[in-house]
Amino acid sequence: MIRQTLTVQTKLGIHARAAAKLVRLTSRFSSSVYLSREGAQQEIDSKSILGVLMLAATMGTRLAVTISGTDEAEASEAVRALFENKFGEED
Amino acid sequence: MSDRAATRIFCGNGVSPGLAAGKALKLDSHFRFVLKAYVGEGELDCQVSRFRRAVKQSREQLESLRAQLEQKVGKEHSFILDAHMLMLEDPSFLAEIDALIRENHANAEWAIQDAAERIRRAYSALDDEYFRERGRDFEYVAQRLLSNLTGSNQFSWSSLPDDLIIVAHDLSPSAFAVMDLQKVRGLALESGGRSSHTAILARRLQIPTVMELHDFVSAVNSGDPIVLKADEGRVVLWPSEECLESARRRLEASAAVGEPAFTGETAAVSEDGVAVSLRANTELPHEVVVAKRCGAEGIGLFRSEFIFFAHPQGPPDRESQFEIYGMLAREMSPHPVAVRTLDTGVGRLVTRSDFASEPNPSMGLRGIRLSFAEPALFVTQIEAILQASSLGRLEIVIPMVSTVEEVWEAKRIIAKVASGMQKSLDFDTGRVPLGVMIEVPAAVLTLDSIVREVDFICVGTNDLVQYLLAADRDNPQVAHLFQPLHPSVLQCLHRIARISLQYGKPARICGEVSSNPFFAVLLLGMGYRLLSMNPLSIPQIREVVRRVRIKDAEALVEKVLSMYTVQDISTFLVDALPPLLGLDLSPHAADLSRKVVRDRIQPV
Repeated sequence: MIRQTLTVQTKLGIHARAAAKLVRLTSRFSSSVYLSREGAQQEIDSKSILGVLMLAATMGTRLAVTISGTDEAEASEAVRALFENKFGEED
Repeated sequence: MSDRAATRIFCGNGVSPGLAAGKALKLDSHFRFVLKAYVGEGELDCQVSRFRRAVKQSREQLESLRAQLEQKVGKEHSFILDAHMLMLEDPSFLAEIDALIRENHANAEWAIQDAAERIRRAYSALDDEYFRERGRDFEYVAQRLLSNLTGSNQFSWSSLPDDLIIVAHDLSPSAFAVMDLQKVRGLALESGGRSSHTAILARRLQIPTVMELHDFVSAVNSGDPIVLKADEGRVVLWPSEECLESARRRLEASAAVGEPAFTGETAAVSEDGVAVSLRANTELPHEVVVAKRCGAEGIGLFRSEFIFFAHPQGPPDRESQFEIYGMLAREMSPHPVAVRTLDTGVGRLVTRSDFASEPNPSMGLRGIRLSFAEPALFVTQIEAILQASSLGRLEIVIPMVSTVEEVWEAKRIIAKVASGMQKSLDFDTGRVPLGVMIEVPAAVLTLDSIVREVDFICVGTNDLVQYLLAADRDNPQVAHLFQPLHPSVLQCLHRIARISLQYGKPARICGEVSSNPFFAVLLLGMGYRLLSMNPLSIPQIREVVRRVRIKDAEALVEKVLSMYTVQDISTFLVDALPPLLGLDLSPHAADLSRKVVRDRIQPV
């Protein structure tokens, strides 16, 4: 299991299009990828867009990411890259 | 578990009086109803696979829609349908539906409705507006699924019981066109308020209706027994046997009394000899019968949009409009019929479903603005009115005017239509009087420039009050601010009466306020001599007119114009008017001012 904390750096937060990208990305991996607002109990499945949008993650929100499964290393790297690239939304 | 639930009483706002008892029929805004059906063990797989098929079908539709949308507006807008597809195939949603079907032995429709309701609630609790609004996206997806599951939004009324209480968040006026009104005994709605078109139609059709019922829809299942007491604004869900029985007895007793017979009177002359014309506001063509029975001296306002709503395939053509206007003109002759041209927001028109929905339709593309944006609709309607004008006395009324330029433009179009038609007609289309609705405050303030351009003016009090007080009468959160007795409203009405008289074109009142005796007397005191109202109120207002002395009414007006609050004004009227008329007006006193329903407003 890999845990990491990532910060949302897109101006609009994880809005609908960014959420769609995250869902598509994590769905490619067999590992489970769960997200929660830092400090919050409730975890949501990153493969569920309804869950991701429910996070209501705005710019600056810190999210705890928990990944576990056979391809967890690659999944973890891919998720981190997506956050760092600001979901490919901004130049 | 018992097969009946505990009795619950919900309090709302009774907007159309009466009593009703029946079974709930839940409708959503898309006019679909979802019943929970028991599904046997052996049939559960079938429900799950029906659901899966609906998902697949919805997916295909969304893909094709996305392609069309992408062509029209580009990828940056069509992506939202990607989000919709992901929602549709959201693994947690799919799993929840499977579980709901199997654990509850329920049909797929119900499972979707149930899951959607929970998701809707979860989203509506979010603080951030953007994310809260995404709940609406899911709503579209759920509606699509339901649509594919039920096959059609239409359902057969003939298979339903004949004592239905419609339960819905909101009911579009167009729904009345599709409902079997013989079976609808009452309406119980979450949306508001007294002056919405839905409420107006319910009163007109004499369907007892309670609105502003908070958290009601989610507590009800289709088929649940309901007693609806609109006079008290209460709805009893799962009533006790005694409550149900007493309602049935009262209903039978009132059915035996029947409707009041028309006495043949139309004249309304005040005690001191001033003649007042009482006309009917109507919406449905066949209401002309009610208008005549109540002794209306004409139709003061025919709200033509209903005939547009009744044509779900698209706007009615010139010929079918001609038939309706012609029938009205003939039936009411020698009295006039004022046809208000299409007054609806763009969102309600089938033809413009390609338009983006407006965030604020009451301030958007509606009334004359829509007519200018869709000239073909307007021209067809004007042609039909002009053509029918030979069959009686028709008048044209233009809604939502805010500047004199709009009046000029409307006159230009009408004149062009008339001269184009003149060649083929053997009567003068130029003699059809033209009026405008005064309902936007800007038009009140610039009334001088508008009055001189038209033959008559009608005050649309419902909209005027809403625009003047910036309070949406359909929004339960602020509906209490919608106060026709607000001093600003009275000042506007007073100003309109004064200016219109200066130009020798006395203004007419077309709005629900004229059916309230207290308000009617104020209007007479301000100088109005033509009141148009719900036809069923005409006999009573006629009686009020006969008993009032205009001098007294003028004195009342002078007094209320010096007052500052709705509370002071209504208290004063409730004390002062009944003795002058010698009538018991207590049933109308409650309508004078809306209670402040929210306890948030406290003096600091």
